[in-house]
Amino acid sequence: MSNAVSIVIYAVSGIFALLPLWSWALGRWYQAGIASKLMENEKILGSILDDKMSVTTSKKVSMIGAEYSTLLHVSLCVGPSMGQMFFMWLKSIFGGRLHSYDVVLDFGRREALLRLKQQAAERGCTSIVNIRIETSVVSFAKTQKSKQASVEFLAFATGIR
Amino acid sequence: MEGQVISLLMSNVESIPGKNVVSSLGLVTGSTVRAKHIGKDFFAGLKNIVGGELKAYTELLNESRNEAIQRMMMDAHARGANAIVNVRFATSNVAAGASELFCYGTAVVVE
Repeated sequence: MSNAVSIVIYAVSGIFALLPLWSWALGRWYQAGIASKLMENEKILGSILDDKMSVTTSKKVSMIGAEYSTLLHVSLCVGPSMGQMFFMWLKSIFGGRLHSYDVVLDFGRREALLRLKQQAAERGCTSIVNIRIETSVVSFAKTQKSKQASVEFLAFATGIR
Repeated sequence: MEGQVISLLMSNVESIPGKNVVSSLGLVTGSTVRAKHIGKDFFAGLKNIVGGELKAYTELLNESRNEAIQRMMMDAHARGANAIVNVRFATSNVAAGASELFCYGTAVVVE
């Protein structure tokens, strides 16, 4: 009986003590999943859009004959996993490139752009002009101690048909 | 006025494509400050175990931004505009646990 209890205690304490490690491993697996899904969606949408829609950051495009225009805006919040944050903290002692943050931010930005294009396609736009992408740190954590960090990506543009 | 949904033409370029700007009515703004309730915060914290998109935050920011836009539209509507050009967005972290979403643009009359 006491043996079983001690096993449970070891297991629970093991889970909590190695939480950064678990979180890192789970996070790697999960984020690889969503990244490959994003790549698939980019391919699908790309093949639909590439020849039909022009996407530009420029304002100076021919707008003569435009019959419809709308403001498109998409935002999403992404955050690194707890494990990644822990290892980044370790890495930041020495400085240098924080690879896992790179991956997370790159994912967020691409996903925001993809959703913007999807929104444009839904509304039947044939071109997207004046794309702007903004980044801001949002944290709704109630205390300063909480390390929950997330980054918001806002992409906005004008869609024209 | 609250609760009434107004829909104006908007764009973030200098004009409304395909339309002529007749007159300009000046700067219009809309803003909202939002905080989260603690339950959603807890679930976002759980999501932080694996990272990736934090859907609860995304939803919250989206609905607050729509509210800010709605306020900007009400401002423009009150001035008798029928479109807003050069719309810009800004987000700032005003306090721990709260975020301000701000949008601004130029109210114009188009035909």
